[in-house]
Amino acid sequence: MTFRALTALVAARLYEQRRVVIYACAAALLVGLLQPREAAGPVMFCSFLGILMALAQSPGRYPHLDRCEQSAPLFGRELARAKALVPCIAAALATTAYAAAAFVGGAPNAPYAFAIALAAVIATTLIALSATLRLGSSRALYVLLAALAGAIAYALAVAAHSLLAELGFCAIASFLALRQYGEALARYDPI
Amino acid sequence: MPLLRMRKACFRLGSWSVAPVTLDVGPCELAARTFASPREAAVVALLAAGIAKASSGCVLIGDYDPRLQSVACKRIAGFIPHEPVALDERDFGAYIAYRAALWNVDARLAFARAAELRAALGDMHEAFALPLIGALIAMPELIVLDRPVPAYAERILRVAEGRAVFSTHTNVAAARAFRRSAVLRASQA
Repeated sequence: MTFRALTALVAARLYEQRRVVIYACAAALLVGLLQPREAAGPVMFCSFLGILMALAQSPGRYPHLDRCEQSAPLFGRELARAKALVPCIAAALATTAYAAAAFVGGAPNAPYAFAIALAAVIATTLIALSATLRLGSSRALYVLLAALAGAIAYALAVAAHSLLAELGFCAIASFLALRQYGEALARYDPI
Repeated sequence: MPLLRMRKACFRLGSWSVAPVTLDVGPCELAARTFASPREAAVVALLAAGIAKASSGCVLIGDYDPRLQSVACKRIAGFIPHEPVALDERDFGAYIAYRAALWNVDARLAFARAAELRAALGDMHEAFALPLIGALIAMPELIVLDRPVPAYAERILRVAEGRAVFSTHTNVAAARAFRRSAVLRASQA
């Protein structure tokens, strides 16, 4: 996949979802101003936003983009990487908005909380992406798995006081989730 | 050698299935097929464009099997969906740039082709014209139309000149309109 195709795909999806992204950032900013002290706030709230952004990529929400992407000469894994970037960018923007609001609100460890939250949010978003290609209980299971990954990341960083362990866990979870999403997208039948 | 070859191609989803389809579409040929339901017509169009994979039977697009070489198939076949695109002329440039990037077509060339095609399509509504132009800027050898509007048959075949065309329909009159336009164009040539 060319860089041009990747940016076109990501830009088109972000443009279509611009309202949702703006609302997510605004909500994160507001919650960041109201609850800036703990790391639990950004991890839980921004992970929740990441899951919502991932679910917004479900087939059928933007049918003409779906059809163009499905009929384009792209491999499933290439398409998966490009599609995964969209909710990750949106969720990262919301996390940044939260961190900025927390920093302005005088949170003592805002940069540290931002690092914890960003890693957790990317992992939960990528795990939740696999739910978009499934229905019923397996869809719910992936959403639960994503929430669980967020909770584990928080526990590692805050309860176990190991940022490195949290980053390692999130990196592995993100890698596996992206591979899984690519495999699922390659096998996905749009009917 | 046919560009599109379907041999007892069938698609099953639970208890529902598409009746086996067998057809050949050679270069520059037109095939307009009628199906019992819109769903069946849509599924066969997706099979012919290499987007959906047949549950049984065989589909070959330019000798490539969509189950194994779907990217090669999608380079040959251009798919035009039934649903009109909810865009207007203001989004035309962005849409063409997007399609050109996905199909790796030079942007300047894509815009030049798109302008030519838009002029050739005349007063065709942009919601129907844009997907057609978007598909044609990649210069596919085969065009697959899912339930196209029969009133646009003549214009669609005019811009698809020199390419194989496969269209699915849900009524005989619509399929006949496409066949009639193809015969007329052939006799004029």
